[in-house]
Amino acid sequence: MDFKEKIVEVTTEIFETMVMVDLTPGEPLAEHVSRFECSMSAIVGFAGFKQGNLAIHTPERVARGLTRDFLGMEVNEINEDVQDAMGELANMLAGSLKPFIASNGERVELSLPSVVHGKEYTLTVVNDADWVMIPFQVSHGDFLVGLELKKQS
Amino acid sequence: MGKTVLIIDDSNTMRKIVNRSLRQAGLEFDSVLEAGDGQAALDILAAEKPDIILSDINMPNMDGLEFLKNKAADPSIKDIPVVMVTTEGGSEDMVEQSRQLGASGCVKKPFTPDQVNDVLGPLL
Repeated sequence: MDFKEKIVEVTTEIFETMVMVDLTPGEPLAEHVSRFECSMSAIVGFAGFKQGNLAIHTPERVARGLTRDFLGMEVNEINEDVQDAMGELANMLAGSLKPFIASNGERVELSLPSVVHGKEYTLTVVNDADWVMIPFQVSHGDFLVGLELKKQS
Repeated sequence: MGKTVLIIDDSNTMRKIVNRSLRQAGLEFDSVLEAGDGQAALDILAAEKPDIILSDINMPNMDGLEFLKNKAADPSIKDIPVVMVTTEGGSEDMVEQSRQLGASGCVKKPFTPDQVNDVLGPLL
């Protein structure tokens, strides 16, 4: 999947313009991560010509820090603000990637964001998919942006 | 007299984000009104007349397009400018419909303070 540069580009743009944080991208992961601990995952689905999802996976501590920067207010716990903020960031990322996923004008629709978090959880969303997961580093810590697209027959 | 803005979004968090974006754009309002959907906004507009309205499109109960229709039908509020707040990659059809229903402009997330200023500034 050749979305690495585009994910880095739109993630950098969104986090620098909307959250006002500097971030450093890492190299795409060699192995897919699906099990998370003390984390939060915000997921937006793609439907139509391409099926799959875009997700932000972040430790809860990083999610609180990003929400504090995004909203300009203190955030001491995982609450509705954190879930909404991470969902909105995933929504913006998916929306910005959509023109490149449907590069020939095909119809692709976005789902509303879903957010899960917990002490320990596993996400297995799309079977038989191409995927890319890219780590990013911000002052609060690291988070992952993942894109999965079902292989087309 | 200070200026007033009405922010319509079903997400309390998004209303905070939009409010923060206005401040970052240098647009200071003396009063910020908030509504969770179009009907709640119409209820507020029965008593308050803000200088500008920022509205989400997709909302439960009464969405942004239905709100624009209702607003256009009320002579006491029809001239208050409305700017739609959408996400890049969202439905272009709905953005176009909002323009046809009288929206004065649209800002797409992610937006920079300059972009917010370019759209809202001339309307204030």
